[in-house]
Amino acid sequence: HCSADCEIVVNEANFVRKCISAESCQDDLWGKLVCTNFKVSFITHNSLPRQRFQCTHRLLGEHDIPLACVEQVVTVNDVKGKQKILGSNQKLKFNPTELILYCKDFRIIRFRFDEAGPESAKKVCLAIAHYSHPADPQLLFGFEYVGKRYHGSTGERVNGVDPGGGMQTTLFDCSSDWDREIKRTGASEWRVCTINQGYFISPSLPEFFVVPVSLADQDLKQYACFFYSQRIPLWCWNHSSGSALVRMSNISDLQQQRKVEQRISSAITKSHPLRSDVFKSDLDKNLPNIQDIQAALLKLRQICVIDPFEESEEKWLSSLESSRWMEYVRTFLRHAVEVVYMLESRNVPVILLEKEDRDLSCVISCLVQLMCDPHCRSLHGFQGLIQKEWVMAGHRFLDRCNHLKKNDKEESPVFLLFLDCVWQLWNQYPAAFEFTEVYLTVLGDSMWVPIFSTFLFNCPRQRAENSRDFASSKSIHLGQDQALRFPPVWDWSQQFSLKDQTLFNNPLYVGKIATCVQNGTVKTFTHRRSKKNYSSTLRGLPSALRNGSLGPNDTLARRNSLVLRLRSDLSQVREQQETPSERFIRDFFSRPVDLQGLLLPQLLPSHLSVWKLYFLRWVPEAQIPQGGPITAFHKLSVLTDEIDMLQNQLRQYKGAGGTPNNLHAEHSKMYFKATSTPHQPPAPPEYLSSSFPFSPVGNLCRPGILGSPLSKFLNGAKIWLSTETLANETI
Amino acid sequence: MEESGSVDSVESLFSVPLHCIMFFCVQVYKDPSKGELPLLPEELVQDSAKDVTYICPFIGPVRGSLTVTNYRLFFRCTDREPVFGLDLPLGALSRAEKIGAATSRGDVSYGLVCKDMRNLRFVHKELEDSLKKSAFEVLMKFAFPVSNNMSLFAFEYKQVFPENGWKVYDPLAEYKRQGLPNESWRISKVNDHYELCDSYPAALFVPVTITDEELRRVFSFRAKGRIPVLSWIHPESQAAVVRASQPMVGQNGRRCKEDEKLLQAIMDANAQSHKLFIFDARPSVNAAANKMKGGGYESEDAYQNAELVFLDIHNIHVMRESLRKLKEVVYPNIEESHWLSNLESTHWLEHIKLILAGALRIADKVESGKTSVVVHCSDGWDRTPQLTSLALIMLDSHYRTIRGFQILLEKEWLSFGHRFQQRVGHGDRNHTDADRSPIFLQFIDCVWQMTRQFPAAFEFNEYFLITILDHLYSCLFGTFLCNSEQQRLKEEVPKRTVSLWSFVNSQLEEFVNPLYVHYPSHVLFPTVGIRHLQLWVTYYIRWNPRMRPQEPVHQRYKELLAKRAELQKRVEELQREAANRTASSSSERAGSPTRSITPVQTFV
Repeated sequence: HCSADCEIVVNEANFVRKCISAESCQDDLWGKLVCTNFKVSFITHNSLPRQRFQCTHRLLGEHDIPLACVEQVVTVNDVKGKQKILGSNQKLKFNPTELILYCKDFRIIRFRFDEAGPESAKKVCLAIAHYSHPADPQLLFGFEYVGKRYHGSTGERVNGVDPGGGMQTTLFDCSSDWDREIKRTGASEWRVCTINQGYFISPSLPEFFVVPVSLADQDLKQYACFFYSQRIPLWCWNHSSGSALVRMSNISDLQQQRKVEQRISSAITKSHPLRSDVFKSDLDKNLPNIQDIQAALLKLRQICVIDPFEESEEKWLSSLESSRWMEYVRTFLRHAVEVVYMLESRNVPVILLEKEDRDLSCVISCLVQLMCDPHCRSLHGFQGLIQKEWVMAGHRFLDRCNHLKKNDKEESPVFLLFLDCVWQLWNQYPAAFEFTEVYLTVLGDSMWVPIFSTFLFNCPRQRAENSRDFASSKSIHLGQDQALRFPPVWDWSQQFSLKDQTLFNNPLYVGKIATCVQNGTVKTFTHRRSKKNYSSTLRGLPSALRNGSLGPNDTLARRNSLVLRLRSDLSQVREQQETPSERFIRDFFSRPVDLQGLLLPQLLPSHLSVWKLYFLRWVPEAQIPQGGPITAFHKLSVLTDEIDMLQNQLRQYKGAGGTPNNLHAEHSKMYFKATSTPHQPPAPPEYLSSSFPFSPVGNLCRPGILGSPLSKFLNGAKIWLSTETLANETI
Repeated sequence: MEESGSVDSVESLFSVPLHCIMFFCVQVYKDPSKGELPLLPEELVQDSAKDVTYICPFIGPVRGSLTVTNYRLFFRCTDREPVFGLDLPLGALSRAEKIGAATSRGDVSYGLVCKDMRNLRFVHKELEDSLKKSAFEVLMKFAFPVSNNMSLFAFEYKQVFPENGWKVYDPLAEYKRQGLPNESWRISKVNDHYELCDSYPAALFVPVTITDEELRRVFSFRAKGRIPVLSWIHPESQAAVVRASQPMVGQNGRRCKEDEKLLQAIMDANAQSHKLFIFDARPSVNAAANKMKGGGYESEDAYQNAELVFLDIHNIHVMRESLRKLKEVVYPNIEESHWLSNLESTHWLEHIKLILAGALRIADKVESGKTSVVVHCSDGWDRTPQLTSLALIMLDSHYRTIRGFQILLEKEWLSFGHRFQQRVGHGDRNHTDADRSPIFLQFIDCVWQMTRQFPAAFEFNEYFLITILDHLYSCLFGTFLCNSEQQRLKEEVPKRTVSLWSFVNSQLEEFVNPLYVHYPSHVLFPTVGIRHLQLWVTYYIRWNPRMRPQEPVHQRYKELLAKRAELQKRVEELQREAANRTASSSSERAGSPTRSITPVQTFV
């Protein structure tokens, strides 16, 4: 593949064994362990013990781990009983017999060096440790990868991005993208501001963003210095009622705070059709901080993949609770619902306040838009949303991913937490999203493939500067480009074949009216269509009355006196003092859902689930052979494909009038296709399991539990159960 | 406008999955004039009261009128629009009593504890005429007919359905489906009139090498006479699933050579294996403790070639306590911050896990080990049917169909004498009865867990399982009445009542899982870890108005099926027209038939 010419082998060792099971070594694979400037690779001629399915990655082989995905490099000498975690430029005083790679995507991979030369084993370990700790962002493989393309280019694919790569995703890196978003959401009182062109005002803001029309560039320049990192408040989105969602960093100058806040608020109010006052939502006060989130993920990882499965079973639920991950997911969803309530029901503009405005705001503003705006639930709408609220708004992906492994305090899985929140919504309303959970999982994994503009940088300016510097240091002629053009992760062809990309398409999806962009103009706005669906019973009332009518005692007052009397008599009965937002939620749940309208998640803790595909996919004991949601997906996919096929036939009759040809198979959007005998739906293929399209085989080899029953699970429940050892243990 | 908004929300409190509404929940009447109580055949209003207040744990007091019939309690709210009702079959009541004394204002409060995870609370004025019985006193009479020497409503109900559900299970036909009798297994008529074991069915399958005379001696050696008999046989390997009760070994280690011979014969009937596995469902400590009471387990000295395995499943009292704790955790409100640890402390999922794990080991032994197994607990009517029926569902895809599942229940639970009357306490006031236990509920929960893991492997849907549980308690159908086949015949239950399957099979489409595909490999091995078990929220938490049925994938699937049918029709039409066109003259171009087609909306 094209990565070959820019990828360099750094070190390698022969006769290495990759451990497949923790207990016995009979399934282990023999091969060569290679460290390149991109990945840790294991080259073997043996095949895995069980035939299985895997989605093939264009840049990574079955046994490969990108260096950016390596979290910890642990070397072990089991004869001497020594163990060392290796960092960059370190020495190793013993010859390792074993290398364990803990990966960011929850995999744990083990190699043994029993037959390898001790020196070469040591060298390859040191190389892996060194190269997985790049000293400088420009040492990340993406630079080499993208830079090489400029060298050999012949003009056609100048910028490294396949221009025809199906890139219908709005990147929000130019002013016209913002203009279109303003139009799409009907935010007529807002305008694109260009004062940060060249990043002269704020280092962490994008070059183009949107502000109230009543604020002149001159005012904005003046206010900028009061905000943290000169971040002028950013417009995110407009609710169909005209209420804007805005994100804002703290005002560092306390003396000016009141005045500046007032000016900003009144400008936002002026942009509101009813001149409603602004509601400020303080995220730092109400949500866990990035360290909390990181701590939760570490605990979750501990219980998911590190603790021995059987022993942790009994305490699984309480351990899950004490990890607090699910609690945080719920807190974020709940907070987003509160904001939706303000926009939807109170019809007021909302400002999301966060100290730096670069972490929690990204999550909340995206969730709000996902709940309110069906456009964001289409594939391209969702990708555009991430561009807008994460990439352009300057989420510190480089630091949060800790790609340079320099500052562990800055590392935090904020984006993964967001994906989990999206998954919860998806899980509750699977037909409302154009994408699948495989898509969300693969998107999470793509953070660790360090070639995408999406996840490599802390902000657009950093991307521009780093790539300019890199280009000049390597004397790359950029031609018309301002900077190296890194592919965004949305160019999925970088990673997967078109066939594999069909795993992203949700057969249940209802809708698909809005997203067709033709010749650069959006043809239909789903938004407009769904406007009526948003409407709450309150719309149209004067705002004063509306606010007054939302009091919690409202319904009670209408009850007759008997009820009120009973309340005093039955003091032991717990009265539910329902808050207006609770009532808003209950109201929503009383109506049938419109998948193209507002979606609110159920927030009862009993209704949130663990995202098993992401967190448990590598755990062999947790795999359901021939089962899991994928088996239902399989059947749905086949049916959807049949419908697609019939529609093609109809179109052909209608258009050319000729006989239908068999082009269908190539254009099918479904991964599982209809067979020639449509009325006999095929049974799910044998290789399907709850981990599909991933496989635990060889991807989770926990260390230090030799002799535990782990390996008994590895080949599925059947074999484990037949060994009968469990019986002896339980008696 | 604002007003109607709030009314909507009240309605929402009671809106539940549409399918639950039919018999059990609250019905919502859009048109108050139609808010009349829909009476079943032979259902008679016994009493009614106005000015009753229902203390809803979710929205607080609601005023309305209460009607008590010989089948149900019906509360109709009158102070809200639209009118809604609370409809509860009296059979679902476990306990109904007056709470405290009348207040100074003359209000009396009644608490109803339900078997379906609800507690209801009503308040009404003390009657001035103290001689007249209040509606609640009438309710208590009809709620517990057995305690009041009355008959259950099932014996009154005379609805006629197109199909007679009592004909679903024909034991001989079912054994014949399994290829029985064959050269190794015969039918024995020794219990034809239930004289040797009154809790067993009449038709018993035993190895051909054992005579009825020998069987008679085994009857006296097994608890309650529940001898080892065949439940299921593997169509290829001939490995058998055999069920029994514990052997009466006692402290002195009594032996019975006929029992030993029977187990040897069971092993010999399967040529594939020279071993027999005995699965004792109990924890080994409990099994040992049973020796004091004359019971116990098979010693490996007496039963050569047999290996005994304990499955660690606890007894009915532990299970009852676990469900009681679960109800505390889920009803009426969930404590949000400690939901998971509270759920863990009920141990409910842990028990579900142990039962499923036990069944999995049995299924694995039969399928992978090709070995015959004997399953028993103490009496062989609680944990044993849980294990055998779950193992059979894993092993035999027939039991995953709607009718197959009915047969499985009729066979493993009803004919083999799970004591439904005792465990559920139909119409019995004695709610503290130590014999009550949610054994059957646990089994249905385990089946539900399997349907979650294999969403395409079962012909029935969740509603089917919920319907079965609702009518386990309702006493509308005769299916779950009495403790044994013998009792049901004596009471003429099949003659005098309607079977639940009559109702179910007359509207099958309600219960079909549209995602069902027939799995080629007929064995399912579920994953039994806690990580893959989940609380059945749509059953246990269905009364919570903050819970709403998930966006049903099934509904969407049905829409897609309809879409496909429509498209197929159009394509066929066009194909016909195209064929006609080529057949007729080609010059007739004027009326292109394709023009009549409306544009097709793009899907996915």
